[in-house]
Amino acid sequence: MTKFISAVLSIFLLLSIPPMLQSSKIFPYDFKIEVLDNGLKVVSIPLDNPHIISHYIIIRSGSRNEIEPGKSGFAHFFEHMMFKGTKDMPKEAYDDFLTKLGAGTNGYTTDDYTCYFVVFAGRENLEEVIKTEADRFINLYYDEEMLKTEAPVIEGEYYASVSSPGRRLFETLRDKAYVKHSYKHTTLGYLKDILDMPNQYEYSQLFKKRFYAPDNTILLVAGDYDHDRLMEYVHRYYSGWEKSNYALVTPEEPPQTTAKRAHYDWPSKTLPQLVIGFHGPAYSDEKIDKAALDLLAETSFSRSSPLYQKLVIEEQKCLSFNASFADRRDPYLLTFNATLKDEEDLSYVEQEIFKELERLKKEPVSEELLAEIKSNLKYSFASALGTTDGIASVLAQYINLTTDPGTVNKLFDLFEKVTPEDIQNMCQKYFKKTNSTVVTLSGGNTK
Amino acid sequence: MRNQTKFFLTGLLVLIIAFANFSCSQASPDKLKCELIPREGNPLISFRILLHIGSVNDPAGKEGLCALTLSMMASGGSQSLTYKEIQKKFYPMATYIGLSVEKEMSVFTGTVHADNLEKYYAIFKDVLLDPGFREDDFTRIKTNQLNFLERTLVSNMDEQFGKEILNLLMYEGQPYGHHEAGTLESLAKLTLADIRAFYAEHFLQGNITIGIIGGYPSDFPDKVMEDFSALPEGHTPPISLPEQRMPRGIEIVIAEKNTPATAMSMGFPVSLSKADDDYFALWIAVSHFGEHRQHLSLLFQKIREERGQNYGDYAYADHFIQGRRKFPAQNHCRQQQYFSIWIRPLKNSNRHFALRQALFELKKLVEEGIPEERFEMTRTYLLNYTRLYAQTLGEILGWKMDSRYYGYKDFLAEVQRRLPKITHEDVNRAIKKYLNYENIYIALITQDAKSFKNALVNNTPSPITYAGPKPEEILEEDKVYQVFPLDVKPENVRIAQATSFFQKTGVPEK
Repeated sequence: MTKFISAVLSIFLLLSIPPMLQSSKIFPYDFKIEVLDNGLKVVSIPLDNPHIISHYIIIRSGSRNEIEPGKSGFAHFFEHMMFKGTKDMPKEAYDDFLTKLGAGTNGYTTDDYTCYFVVFAGRENLEEVIKTEADRFINLYYDEEMLKTEAPVIEGEYYASVSSPGRRLFETLRDKAYVKHSYKHTTLGYLKDILDMPNQYEYSQLFKKRFYAPDNTILLVAGDYDHDRLMEYVHRYYSGWEKSNYALVTPEEPPQTTAKRAHYDWPSKTLPQLVIGFHGPAYSDEKIDKAALDLLAETSFSRSSPLYQKLVIEEQKCLSFNASFADRRDPYLLTFNATLKDEEDLSYVEQEIFKELERLKKEPVSEELLAEIKSNLKYSFASALGTTDGIASVLAQYINLTTDPGTVNKLFDLFEKVTPEDIQNMCQKYFKKTNSTVVTLSGGNTK
Repeated sequence: MRNQTKFFLTGLLVLIIAFANFSCSQASPDKLKCELIPREGNPLISFRILLHIGSVNDPAGKEGLCALTLSMMASGGSQSLTYKEIQKKFYPMATYIGLSVEKEMSVFTGTVHADNLEKYYAIFKDVLLDPGFREDDFTRIKTNQLNFLERTLVSNMDEQFGKEILNLLMYEGQPYGHHEAGTLESLAKLTLADIRAFYAEHFLQGNITIGIIGGYPSDFPDKVMEDFSALPEGHTPPISLPEQRMPRGIEIVIAEKNTPATAMSMGFPVSLSKADDDYFALWIAVSHFGEHRQHLSLLFQKIREERGQNYGDYAYADHFIQGRRKFPAQNHCRQQQYFSIWIRPLKNSNRHFALRQALFELKKLVEEGIPEERFEMTRTYLLNYTRLYAQTLGEILGWKMDSRYYGYKDFLAEVQRRLPKITHEDVNRAIKKYLNYENIYIALITQDAKSFKNALVNNTPSPITYAGPKPEEILEEDKVYQVFPLDVKPENVRIAQATSFFQKTGVPEK
């Protein structure tokens, strides 16, 4: 018996051998896409990796969907409510099911989507997982009292993050930079809206009806299973889910025409921080803008860039320094973020970033540097695909943007086409002073 | 003759194989050890260079020296390349050198694609065997370490800060009793000469286990072992640790700061580790009581799910560091272990209630044990959940190396073998033997510390209020929690300003 268990474990521990980088496609795995009549999209990636199955449900609703006043943070709050069970399988039974399964499970909410994952061992458990999760998404049930109990947990989560200056810095940036669009607030939401969550039972039902529907959902499964069997289960358990047909219209953000600034006074001694945000483009695997900007972030602001080396390694003014151009469905911020040692250097570092952006508008980056960046992106992506769950979790981030898993390969093809001139053009297009918002944070005596 | 030749060649082959493996099964404590896991065809290779040294090897007055020395390698240059040049070379390979420094174990980590193995290893090797120890790297890294203690840990990381205070309190005056990063006082005095001396004293073959996993060429490990054999033979004798000091009653330290939320960590030493038979039984009990970030946790159910007080509440049978996702990290093994409870920040008005609640539930666990159905469920959970522990190459290698430390061939396989044999009685016996609720260290970060101290000492009732109606059974339970007496003696509650921590070793006086 012991030998048998050891043998099973040995097989289980074998990793897949991804044919990455030899393939012309950055995402080398075959995937199958099927759409049910009710609009539920299923992306299936059967793998040779033994034993493990990753089951992801992606609801294309995040804080971006919180377009009504007083409702900031609601997508995240609703993620919590999704763990309350159904009439057939109340919360306690659902928890027991996951416990016995020994699954790695959780949910997370982003600006654009909310994701629920169950990572488990054993293809014999697949049907039960599909059945249980379908029941949860179709028949979620909670009463007002359960909502009132869960709402203060969000307040607790807010308090858990309250000692993080970085969170306050980005909250301030988004609030200042956006006027209309729901990217104005973070996924956690404003404290005043969090405190009002216990009173939002009726709105929560409306939120569910609008967004927790098959035509707003992608089911992503990767790992050790038979695709036909998967689809048999999906049809069996998900066909009764009714469409929503709700079309969200996010408010259009007007162009920013004057430079903005804000300062956050931290109540105790902390390291000073700086963030500069510019309104940028939405994610696209067709238009060159975002791809070129992604490469710019790497060529000119990554750890190997001259500016990073100057500010962090040589002059040692900054402890950390980076650029982040996140992928979002709607136009989002291109941000430059630094943590400094001395408050007096805040304006110097700010000037250095603007100076570098001005230089990049005039001087194209070298072809050699661009090749190094493309190499980095390929190897970074390949490293992330080392496990079944690595494959599923990486793909979930892309799949929410366009609903097409092929977008990863399209994006990397686009990276290949980006030229130094493209990067220069995008610098000129987006990095205008009038399009910028600068936020600083400091507190106590800094040295 | 032909047969003799064949016999001779076979014998030679056996000898070659034996020699090739000899280095991994070294009997001498003064020579290199290794852990090799080939995965033919896998495009990635992961390294773990495990050092059997940590912050316990910091000389008195030079706390933080081990972390600073190893950081000078992971985040500094080699003799032939500056840190800037290394970053430039690593960048196209999308790789780096990671470092973790703990009490008695430290580890350098790295993962690289097979295309870049040679280029990466050349730098990795130089950084470890021929470190640059330059003045500008020293200034930068030391300042980072100082800033982490003074402005990040104390100011911005209350959850971690609480865990570190618990460590200071639990190991006061002992080799574990300082933060791995040191103190502001000790760091200020450290010099490059100290770094060089620490490296010369401890970077010895016998202190190192070379771990490699992935699709490496078959002759690669021999090359690595040969390179690292250039280090002097020898080893640092394991520190002889004093007996762990059990708390006398409830011993509390409050770090005071302006904050809307209170962070709590509490615990006490336990005299067992993963190497012990009893560990598996205690693990089931503690997993039931507070499995890390899982609904299974009883504390999570009581404090968060039923009452919505905070984001989560957990307990640990031994030192726990979160790795990928919510799984445990590896390579922080140590001789002495402790049981702990982590209550995530909750609003100050609920701090007394939640503290009482956690200790009441601990008392109940100690006195009543774990219910039969929860025992069965938790055991099933652990059997299945631990099958997910080792997924990445680094995790597989890390668990294998930890297995060696605890005396197993494969700890995760041992879990599958041992857990089914554990009985309900074993678990309840382990609870009685290792856990208690009367002698416990408690670390708190909160405001109005004096008024909290008074409330604790006087056992002032601490009722809780809710935004909406609650079931009768919860309200009845609350009536018990809110007056649950804690035997807190005024002389056992110390209050210090949060900013005064980590200035010197130990718990600050004010």
